[in-house]
Amino acid sequence: MTSGIPRVAVLLGRRLLLLVALLAAVFAATELLPGDAASATSDRGETAAGLAARRHLLGLDRPLPERFRDWITALPTGDLGTSARGQHVTDLLSAPFPNTLLLGGTALVLTVLLSLTLGCLAAARPGGPVDRIVDVTATVAFALPEFVVSVGLLLVFSLWTGWLPAATLTGADGGPADWTMLVMPVLALTLPQTGWNTRVVRAALADQAATPHVEAAVLDGLPAHRVLLRHALPGALPAVATGFATSTGMLLGGAVVVETLFNYPGIGTVLAGAVADRDTPVIAGVVACAAAVITGVLLLADLVRARTVGARP
Amino acid sequence: MDFTRRQMLLAGAALGSAALLTACQDGGGTASTGAGNQPRPGGTLRVGALGRASAITRDPHGNQGNESDYLVIALVYDTLTAPGAKSNTVGRLAASWTPSDDLRTWRFTLAKGAAFHDGTPVTADDVVWSLRRLRGTPAGAARLPGIQAGNITADGKDTVVLVSDYANAELPLLTRLSTFVLKKDTAGKDLAKAPGTGPFVLDWYRNGNARLVRNEHWHGGTVLLDAIEVTMFESPQAMANAVLAGQIDLASNAGAVAGRTAAARKDIQVVRRPDDMALPLVMRTSEGSPFADPRVREAFKLVVDRPAMVEQTLSGYGTVANDVLGTADPAYAKDLPQRARDLDKAKRLLKEADFDLGRTYELVTTEDVAGLAESATLFAAQAREAGIRVEVVKQESGTFYDRTWLKGDFYTNYWGTNDSVVFFASKTLVTGAGQNEANFSDKDFDAAYREVLATKDAAERGRKLRELQRIEHDRSGYLLWGMADGIDLAAAKVRGLPTLPGYGRVQLENAWLAR
Repeated sequence: MTSGIPRVAVLLGRRLLLLVALLAAVFAATELLPGDAASATSDRGETAAGLAARRHLLGLDRPLPERFRDWITALPTGDLGTSARGQHVTDLLSAPFPNTLLLGGTALVLTVLLSLTLGCLAAARPGGPVDRIVDVTATVAFALPEFVVSVGLLLVFSLWTGWLPAATLTGADGGPADWTMLVMPVLALTLPQTGWNTRVVRAALADQAATPHVEAAVLDGLPAHRVLLRHALPGALPAVATGFATSTGMLLGGAVVVETLFNYPGIGTVLAGAVADRDTPVIAGVVACAAAVITGVLLLADLVRARTVGARP
Repeated sequence: MDFTRRQMLLAGAALGSAALLTACQDGGGTASTGAGNQPRPGGTLRVGALGRASAITRDPHGNQGNESDYLVIALVYDTLTAPGAKSNTVGRLAASWTPSDDLRTWRFTLAKGAAFHDGTPVTADDVVWSLRRLRGTPAGAARLPGIQAGNITADGKDTVVLVSDYANAELPLLTRLSTFVLKKDTAGKDLAKAPGTGPFVLDWYRNGNARLVRNEHWHGGTVLLDAIEVTMFESPQAMANAVLAGQIDLASNAGAVAGRTAAARKDIQVVRRPDDMALPLVMRTSEGSPFADPRVREAFKLVVDRPAMVEQTLSGYGTVANDVLGTADPAYAKDLPQRARDLDKAKRLLKEADFDLGRTYELVTTEDVAGLAESATLFAAQAREAGIRVEVVKQESGTFYDRTWLKGDFYTNYWGTNDSVVFFASKTLVTGAGQNEANFSDKDFDAAYREVLATKDAAERGRKLRELQRIEHDRSGYLLWGMADGIDLAAAKVRGLPTLPGYGRVQLENAWLAR
């Protein structure tokens, strides 16, 4: 059996390679889109010579591999390059990225708490009324896109009742001016993911219920909640952790939609605009930040699984 | 999303006729009772403006992609001249201007008492430095066409002299939108905090959002508001929601859909700024295009049902147009006969021109601005009634500008600068113009254009301008069926709002809040 630290290193190395490949793909994909950053961000009045000058200024006249190499080698120093409009990408992301982490992180914590609670409640009495209600509700919640949830929340809690602010206004510090502005965006992200994860938890617990050690615990006459929390849940953790890790990606993806609808100042809105501008350094910068987070969470999930299931490189 | 970079880039300044402006102000739903009508100082106006975090620019001479950034810049810095109501060009930092007899040399005199926010008086040197800086940007040649950097000079402390490469009676028009004046030798790294001379002083700016406070000593008059807070919105929907929920007082350029939503609300004013955006269909006029024959172009102009287009694609927030661009120009030829639908004449013209009715014609469009794709679809349906088969092809914005714009035979487009007939003539109609979208080339038109630019006498120039518009109306490649209004939503207490189209929407220095 290999020791813990090298295995983490191997996992990390593999994820890093994947990240570089992903970023290369982002560069290539942006290149395939029609038009380029020089034309997308210029005034309509600009002459062909002016456009060529802009193209040169932005380095777009150099081959793609060269541009990628320059960008990726600067990445470890924390330099994400310069946007097509001349702003440092790190400056563009310095306020939005923590905001998205706050939004996504809160939504993830809520998702974890809610889906574990609901999943356990449902698994406590398989086939009982609670189980059936949770099952149906979770399926419906997961089937609803963030867009639909957001519009529903907006209508009910803002435009009809006026209880919560409809849009996020930004304060002088770059974050939401008031915490109530976070409520609806967080809920819009949490609800669908809770639906998904509740089903994962419920199914993993059902699998565990059929294992010999859980059956033995039941035959020993242990109370139901003790069997569930002490005997079934630990075994279900690898599957559950993977479910949550997957949700991280979907939360960040959903943030693009939710941030736009609630005017939340996060990287989702930066990304949407950057794609329209063909602004490769900005797109790659957002992807690098998001991928770093997802990689971190996936790594954690891997470690949880490795710890529970036993060493498996 | 119906909000794109080009809408923002192009929503140019324009001017509504005085009559339309008055009508618009009255129609704004402003409560007009008692003390609420007396302008009063004080209060903070919370403004929402469209913008994208990825497109943020702080450089006053940069490529402003965001309405929110332009709003902040236009309130902190002054341009030499500005869009106006009675004339399309009014003074701002320049109090007056006079041309030489050959219309090539223009002398601008700076406003008395103009000073930067730190108290330093503005000198002609500051203006010259700023204009040369603007001229030196990649888009400089398009922003100050015909004016070399070396031909921008100071004459004493308060006079700036611009010499054009050719006679240009409309030169002051060029100095309205991006000639923001900074202190001489402002370093690039200090741009974000550089003092301006405008009606408001920057308090803070953070990721597209900003707070501005009143400039007590503005040369242009008394500013009533204590402060303006600008919030950047990615989507018009979120911005409309914010004004409906009372989080902001003004949603700038919210669009027709938001206007329709808010129309039922008594506590919200729907401000219409006419002639905000032109949404023409472009027919390629050169050899090889199915529209090369002017009779075909005229037939298409007779096929479109203009009132139906305005009603259905703009939700009624617009006006019918007459195939001449620059509808808000005081010199716009209102006396040209209004073209109306005439299917019989259209069919006759098509027959005379031997137009092939057997094939299907592609009309390329985008969803860059609200109503654009809808206008293409509705036109296709109307054309069918004349026996013409039109198929609408929708392209993503980037693809459109790469492949179709300036090249295609038949496509939709939009323009935001609508207060100058000459602007369109120079940019899109004269032979060889940089953005001659329909590849229009007409000897009579070119001659009329040159005469307009070289005529000093206003009445005489007006006559020549009418001749230019007559030719454009008769045979250019533009089918301009209507003009979209600019729509702002405002809380009932907001008064003194801007009513000019295009960039005129940023003129918030006269706004005030009623009790």
